[in-house]
Amino acid sequence: MMTPIFAFTFAALLLAWLGRGRVALGALWVMLALSIGLFLFEVHNRDYGFRMPWIQTSAPVTAGEG
Amino acid sequence: MPNATLTFLNYLCLLLMQLALAAIQTAALVFQFALGETPCPLCILQRVAMFGVSFGIIRNFREGYSLKNDGMSMIFALFLLIIATRQTLINIYPRPGHEYIGSAVFGLHMPVWAILIATALLIGYAVKFAITGGDGNLTPLKKFPALARAGNALGLFIVLLAAVNFASVIVQCGVDACHTYEYRLLK
Repeated sequence: MMTPIFAFTFAALLLAWLGRGRVALGALWVMLALSIGLFLFEVHNRDYGFRMPWIQTSAPVTAGEG
Repeated sequence: MPNATLTFLNYLCLLLMQLALAAIQTAALVFQFALGETPCPLCILQRVAMFGVSFGIIRNFREGYSLKNDGMSMIFALFLLIIATRQTLINIYPRPGHEYIGSAVFGLHMPVWAILIATALLIGYAVKFAITGGDGNLTPLKKFPALARAGNALGLFIVLLAAVNFASVIVQCGVDACHTYEYRLLK
């Protein structure tokens, strides 16, 4: 997946530099869509989903609190 | 402020951002090839996001200034911030298979730096808008030929950096998932 993303990235930048704005923009949007897909794939965990259970955000309530 | 001054400040700001991005992308390649630090998939995606920011700046120099181009750059700066924050949160509690990899620069690893870079870019755009306003009051870039030449040369350098990264990704990942422990095509 990363190779096609960089193919579109390189194409978008080269076309933008050559002044082919419309085609470059098309390549950029494809690159962004693929990148978002890959990002979600990379951070998804089979056990946790998108949660991050190693980050504890609650503390035990002690007497006199809460 | 006269339009010419605003135009100069606007393009100077864009040039400085592009210069910073080029320096960061070059440093990333130096760490990868000179120090042998193979980048992780999320680290490579952060490079993609930085190239996306550069895209908007290149278009501003090649086709004239437009808020649309700045908007695209800001979308990618936000994307960079999201990726970097998530990676920092993944690695913030070291455990098997999940810890910061690569060298720390001034005590901070790549994803933490990427958070600072993305934040600095977004602040840079906010300050630029606050000073120069919209795109309706700017004069053409051709009145500043030296700035235009510098911007276009830097844009070409960014395109070359993208080409090197493209080749590197082909060797590291092939057509499959990327790993930090090998260059797939060099096995």
